Amino acid sequence: MPLTKHILPATAFAELADGGGGPATMRQLSEAQLSKHLMLLCALAEAARGPQPGPAAFRAGFRQLAKIQADGPAAADWLLGSPHLGGWIHDSLIRQDQGGTPDFGHFAGLVAAAAVRAGRPADLEVPVRDGRVLLPGLGSLLVPGGGDDGEAAWLRLRCDGQLVTAGDQLVLPAGQLVPDDGTTAVVPGWRGTPAVRASAGGRDWTVLLETGDPYLDRYSLPMRTAMSAAELGEWRERVRAAWSVVMDRHRWAAEPLGEVISVIVPLTPQSETDLVSGTTPAAYGAFATSWPPDPVTLAETLVHEFQHVKLCGLLDLVPLVRTGGQPVYAPWRQDPRPASGLLQGVYAHAGIVRFWQAQRHAETDPDGLLRAQVLFARWRSVIGPAVQTLRQTGSLTPAGIRFAERLAAQGERLSAETVPPAVGQIAAQVSLDHRLTWELRHLVVDADGADRLAAAYAGGGATGPEPVRTWIAEDVRKVDASLRSRLLNLRYLDPSRYRTLCADGVLPLSAADRLLLADRSEDAVEAYRAQIADSAGPQFDAWIGLALALHQRPPSPLHEVMATRLALIAEVHARLAGPVDPLDLARWFT
Amino acid sequence: MNSQEKAKNIETVIPELRDFNIDQLAGLGSPALAHSIALYRERLRETGITLSSFDARI
Repeated sequence: MPLTKHILPATAFAELADGGGGPATMRQLSEAQLSKHLMLLCALAEAARGPQPGPAAFRAGFRQLAKIQADGPAAADWLLGSPHLGGWIHDSLIRQDQGGTPDFGHFAGLVAAAAVRAGRPADLEVPVRDGRVLLPGLGSLLVPGGGDDGEAAWLRLRCDGQLVTAGDQLVLPAGQLVPDDGTTAVVPGWRGTPAVRASAGGRDWTVLLETGDPYLDRYSLPMRTAMSAAELGEWRERVRAAWSVVMDRHRWAAEPLGEVISVIVPLTPQSETDLVSGTTPAAYGAFATSWPPDPVTLAETLVHEFQHVKLCGLLDLVPLVRTGGQPVYAPWRQDPRPASGLLQGVYAHAGIVRFWQAQRHAETDPDGLLRAQVLFARWRSVIGPAVQTLRQTGSLTPAGIRFAERLAAQGERLSAETVPPAVGQIAAQVSLDHRLTWELRHLVVDADGADRLAAAYAGGGATGPEPVRTWIAEDVRKVDASLRSRLLNLRYLDPSRYRTLCADGVLPLSAADRLLLADRSEDAVEAYRAQIADSAGPQFDAWIGLALALHQRPPSPLHEVMATRLALIAEVHARLAGPVDPLDLARWFT
Repeated sequence: MNSQEKAKNIETVIPELRDFNIDQLAGLGSPALAHSIALYRERLRETGITLSSFDARI
């Protein structure tokens, strides 16, 4: 049989670029994942040679999967499409690439899970680790004493379609070896993977809360591997509430999301207030998140991470961006990002904007409404500029250029909607704060150019026509304005907490920062101005504060130059002897 | 879909393997499949997908 390639219809590509994805398009992505995993299994099969237990278990699993497939493809497809298989197979390839040996034996457990789930016969040697046999996607058989030293022991697992026999002692009905959705009876010797069954708007969604598969512990923070019954109950409740939010207001995302996302990996945050979520191209159908503070936040995370999952699926099929090239500014990150990261981010944020576009019409309490309005205004304003930056990298492929064009068109459509002026002002201020903080941290100014300008200013000359070269490098200056930035964001993300903190008056803020946060822009300008002029050393955080305070005034050339050339102005100022009025210097640049 | 729209359909980089029996695949030895695998491995290296924490500790 000749080998052909998956064909992605032009309509599916357009749907995905527009942020959507109907059932047919989602099917295209899911089917491609099956082929991808089959392809990667072939790659591993070539390497799984020799008499050792791992490769032998892999080969037996491969033969078993072929039998399962021959009896009816659905059971094999469940496994081939699962993020559990994806996580393991990517680790195996990377380990091979690094000259190591893949964990071949784990595949036998994956195939055993598919057989048990479908009630198909199986007879496999499976690994035992830390006293358990993992059946990924279902749960674990508890085998006390097996593999307790961290090294894999081996156990024969047989399934006759009805009963599962593990080793010599444990015999359990196959039908009871299911995930634990909180309604199933306790089965001695079995721990089902925690699951949530959510139902809203006539649609059911079942999703695993994966706490036990080590190959899905692959996000920026560690997987939560231990959760009390009470915590598990809270997670289930939160997921159900979030599903109601997306089904009520964001059906465009909810329906495909419910088809594709089968696993949530709860993460252990570094602090209680941090919300971290993530997606990996290695596990299509899964995403990870730390504990979300409220259902709307989790609903936003669902939409956000589902955008990443879709784009990962598309990128497996169609290269949109080439690697290499200079890192650039991404309005949602503290660090410079490669073009591929910017593409992921702008696509995710296009979904986030759409989420808040609808959510702002659903919120009823003033604080919730303010949050929704500002998040809508803030993120929609970055879509167009971020797409423009992406194009300028020169890293987009022809398909990537078409994709970016559709993203830009989305940004334009979203910009046509109105928001209250006060909302627009808050959004513009936090966006400016983010960009200026990033530029002062990561934008290098050519030293000769800055010297030349400092000499010209000191001598009473003009700035001259020759532009000063700038480029991006990580952490070229230390800028410590994180508390002020956090408070500027807290104003709309959690207005109640913001009010409490401000009322306490104990925050270690400068006098100028307090004036800025109180919207006393004239006083704040003077306070920052004095702070910069009187200081012997660079005051980069004060420069940003000064630009933000000027931004609260009506537009002017001064305001414009501070927003666009701040790193250069601050560098020139640092080269001048004696007290120099920062506004006088900034005016010189207008 | 008319012929012009069909022409815009995208031939992807993933081989269509769903119609193959898994047993057949293992012995396929197809150069086209080997090429697709090599491309994917290259992409893995370029994109820097990292090991799971579990494997990274090993």
